[in-house]
Amino acid sequence: MMAILGDFGTTWTKLLDARNGERRVLRTKDAKGLVADVATGHNARRRAPRHINELIALAQGGQRLIDEREFLLLDVGSRDVKHVHMRGGDLVAMDWTSTCGALTGFTLELLGSYYGLDYNAIEPSEKSVPVTCGVLGMEQLFELVSQGVSEAEAVARFARGIALNAHRFAGEPKRFYLSGGMCENRLFLRSFPHGVEVVPLGRFVLVEGLVGELEKTAGR
Amino acid sequence: MVQRKRRIGLAGCPPEEVLAPLREQNLIDLDNVVEGVTLRSESALPRTTCRIIRRILDNALALELDEIVIDEGFGKCDAARGLADVLEDMLRIPVTRTQNDNRVGAGTPISDSGLPVARKIELILDGLVRPQRLALEPEPNPPAAIWGVPAADFSIYELFPDGSQVLGWTRCLENRTPADWEMEISVPDGRPTVFFAQTFCPKNVTAQHLARKHNGLYVDADGVLSQSVKAKIEAFLHFRGARR
Repeated sequence: MMAILGDFGTTWTKLLDARNGERRVLRTKDAKGLVADVATGHNARRRAPRHINELIALAQGGQRLIDEREFLLLDVGSRDVKHVHMRGGDLVAMDWTSTCGALTGFTLELLGSYYGLDYNAIEPSEKSVPVTCGVLGMEQLFELVSQGVSEAEAVARFARGIALNAHRFAGEPKRFYLSGGMCENRLFLRSFPHGVEVVPLGRFVLVEGLVGELEKTAGR
Repeated sequence: MVQRKRRIGLAGCPPEEVLAPLREQNLIDLDNVVEGVTLRSESALPRTTCRIIRRILDNALALELDEIVIDEGFGKCDAARGLADVLEDMLRIPVTRTQNDNRVGAGTPISDSGLPVARKIELILDGLVRPQRLALEPEPNPPAAIWGVPAADFSIYELFPDGSQVLGWTRCLENRTPADWEMEISVPDGRPTVFFAQTFCPKNVTAQHLARKHNGLYVDADGVLSQSVKAKIEAFLHFRGARR
């Protein structure tokens, strides 16, 4: 029986055992040789006999987890940002950038480790760093630190820059669902524009989007 | 004594009355990939030049041609007209400038057939040098369509279900009416259509406009297609019920 579903992301791998609902998160670099029955994500092609592209997995995951006719779901990953807008089961809009939003999530995680920051304890900033990509954003962040801005404030501006960029990329919705590891970053969740409602769904949305594939296979 | 065939490079879609007397010569379509050609256009053209214009120059520099015949009419862009000057200055061979305003359609049996899309594009592109005489049945219900110019990266065509229709300038190329704007912007209602343009090509404006108008998907790519562009096309076709 096919049972292991995997989202093999750039930095993190998320696994779901459909037989018992067991979930695991591990670093992709530590998941060498690990294979799933159905996979999605940046490294999916080498990890399973069947792989589903990330936009399809995201949309299908949203359909399983969100009990609304219309929704906008934004996924902020380690290396890219993508969104889908669904209405009545139809795809209204979608996009995926791996250039302008490149490495934003990865960089935020890296900075947290580098400076030893607790993202739950940092207050969001009213200011932002224009984050066109993780590398260019980091350059500006270090410039701020060299000018005397505290590391926590500089990183908060960086997080706000990522949030504003991702929000614009999704079409500036008033309310949207968020997918990915950034759902666990309280600073990031509070860095979107005032008045915008963000509903975090966690990091297993894409894996949920594979459950349907399993059911389709079982039904054959 | 057997006379050597002249090597004549074609750029764009020159008119048939110009091509017909040349058919006995060795015709090479410079818009297409030629294996083994070294990429030398990088230093000769601005970075904002599309892949197809670059490819024409790369091929022209590498293939030791005797002559180039280029269409620089309404069916081409300012970059192609500028390229004609560049070619003339760099190569010291005759560059014959033509304008293809033909409106008498040769037909679009390949674009409308049930063949895989990649095969359709190959046949259409080869058709300029070797006119096709295939008996093809039209696909009665094309599951999807791709609009645009021929892509530099053919892997885009493998994402489409067989029988998907070919629209836009590529369709005009098969019809030998490259300046037929009415045909170029014609899109059947309700057909899931991906609107493609090479990055830096002026046709991006029309591609995006038509995608909005026809509820399609607009994508552009500079050379090799990224995984994110492929995923967008796959997802679009998936959710519009046109899966492979």
